[in-house]
Amino acid sequence: MNFAKTFAATAVVACLSAGAYAQDIAVIAGSIEDGFFNLIKKGVDDATLMVEANGGTVNYLRTPNYDNFGPDLVTLINQAVAQGVDGIAIPVWVPEAEVPALKAAAEQGIVIMQYNAGQEVQGDLGAINYFGSDEYQAGYGGGVYLAENGAKHILCHIQVPGAINLETRCKGVTEGAESKGAKVTTLRVPANLDGDVTGTAEAIKSELIGDTSIDAVMNLAAWASDASANAVSQIGGKQMIGTFDMNPAVLERIQAGTQTMAIDQQPYLQGFLATSMLFAHLKFGTNISTNPVLTGPAIVDASNVESALAGVALGAR
Amino acid sequence: MSLNTDRQSSGMSFGNLARRPEAGSFVGLVLVYAFFAIMGGAVFMGAPGWSSWLNIAAEVGIVALPVGLLMIAGELDISVGSVIPASQMTTAIVSGYFGLPVLLGIGCGLGVGLLVGFVNGYLVTRTTIPSLIITIGTMFAVMGLTLGFAVLIAGSTSVFLVPGPATKLILGTFLLGMFNVSIFWWVAFAVCVFYLLHVSPAGNWVFALGGDRESARNAGIPTSRLTIGLYMLSGFAAAFVGVLQLMTYQNAQVATGQSFIFNSIMCVVIGGVLLTGGSGSVIGIVIGTATFAIVNQGVFFSGLDPNVGSVIIGVLLLAAVLSNDGFRALALKYSTRKG
Repeated sequence: MNFAKTFAATAVVACLSAGAYAQDIAVIAGSIEDGFFNLIKKGVDDATLMVEANGGTVNYLRTPNYDNFGPDLVTLINQAVAQGVDGIAIPVWVPEAEVPALKAAAEQGIVIMQYNAGQEVQGDLGAINYFGSDEYQAGYGGGVYLAENGAKHILCHIQVPGAINLETRCKGVTEGAESKGAKVTTLRVPANLDGDVTGTAEAIKSELIGDTSIDAVMNLAAWASDASANAVSQIGGKQMIGTFDMNPAVLERIQAGTQTMAIDQQPYLQGFLATSMLFAHLKFGTNISTNPVLTGPAIVDASNVESALAGVALGAR
Repeated sequence: MSLNTDRQSSGMSFGNLARRPEAGSFVGLVLVYAFFAIMGGAVFMGAPGWSSWLNIAAEVGIVALPVGLLMIAGELDISVGSVIPASQMTTAIVSGYFGLPVLLGIGCGLGVGLLVGFVNGYLVTRTTIPSLIITIGTMFAVMGLTLGFAVLIAGSTSVFLVPGPATKLILGTFLLGMFNVSIFWWVAFAVCVFYLLHVSPAGNWVFALGGDRESARNAGIPTSRLTIGLYMLSGFAAAFVGVLQLMTYQNAQVATGQSFIFNSIMCVVIGGVLLTGGSGSVIGIVIGTATFAIVNQGVFFSGLDPNVGSVIIGVLLLAAVLSNDGFRALALKYSTRKG
């Protein structure tokens, strides 16, 4: 009896102290099918080593796909709260769904760190920092780059119509290109073409045939520029191709001269910094005085493709 | 077997024409092509337009043919959506990442498709679980394995492969710069599947299977072997499309195939295959695929909002199902009056 009491008391104390001293954080991320998030995860994994060395834990939670995005994200947030985490690192893609859930989490004392998306809601959320790329600035930089390299009429291809970050990218491309005297047409294809390389290649091909004044294509995902490269080669065209994000094929084309450039937002840094800095804040009370911290845009073209390829081989770019 | 009427094309009477499973879908194809020919003009009717929709039709068509056979036999196959990236990734890892001979890589990729098909068929014949649920299960399992192994082995979700000139020529080139070689593979698949369904004795078995599995078994048809064979064919075809895409785009991605699941089923249904099984034709499936591809690509040539394409596809699908019922009722009425 006495033993049982002591045991129970010890167990309670142990649980309480574990809650008080082990900083547990959840990192919420996009679909595992999305190659981009493998690079985020590489950063998170590397940061996890540091977290675990200091007695904390990292729980990496991801949505199964993007079909039921808002509700799926809220489910993950609630799951993290139910697990009793001390901090959540999360991109805000769907503010209407995510912000109320995150505010409820913050009221319970959970610290929010933002990465990758949703910079505009940072003040509202009270997130301690934001690690990511400014979509508009990245687009603007890409538009300026293509126009300065001779593009007069750029096709900006949106693979998921209505996605705010994609629309913002094309808005940036448009205004960046216009500042240098070039024109931009935005192509919004039906959402069922997302991830369909052949369908996208044929859609872009028909646009290039329909309007021969188009001399450059800007894609918002690496696979979509695989499709553009195919479309351009089918019609034997000379259109420049730019893209957001990269994959090995993009870099190979940049090396071979069949693609002009890629805009890298350095997802490795986003995952690594969001995880490690959230933990350091919880454990050591540190704060970065630069806020937000922009990890992009970094433009990859023929001049620096070699170092990017080295990073790709290591799974970090 | 009364279902044999589906296999015969005798006479030119209205009843016989209307009774053919592809009659309704052929009308749909003509209407849709005429609509986009008017909207899209000379460019759509010329080589760029034809290559555009044929390139799309070829890939989805190769998958739709065996999926259609399965649907005629009363089964579904959802797993094609993850067999495509699985075979692609397998081939890319074997031949691109490890640098082994490309034939070995392609063999492994196609082997993955056959294996998944075998597992599907085995589970469908050995359990009473509906094939929809079984193939959803294998789809997720294969998706997970593809991702897991890709990250484990290659450290990335996209793996690169540069095919040699001969492989590229046979599997991934564009003739006249525009027509993907996959179109010829589609034709070859269509001829083989046509032979299987409408000429060889196994075709009767497929119809019988979809009509009534119990009676088919009692009539001495090896239903289990047939079902497993059909699933292996569909796994093989999906894997083949994966290899074609890899040789064309030189890049294997873990998430490329999902759109094929619904697209292949839609092509089959627009082509007049009865959802409950027992009726359908290869010509119908080919027509359904062409219609689907024309609508998908036509919108980009017509200057319409691309989302209009999705609306047209949806309406066509419903119209196909309704007209199947309508044509069927009409045909049955006509034949009873005659007979």
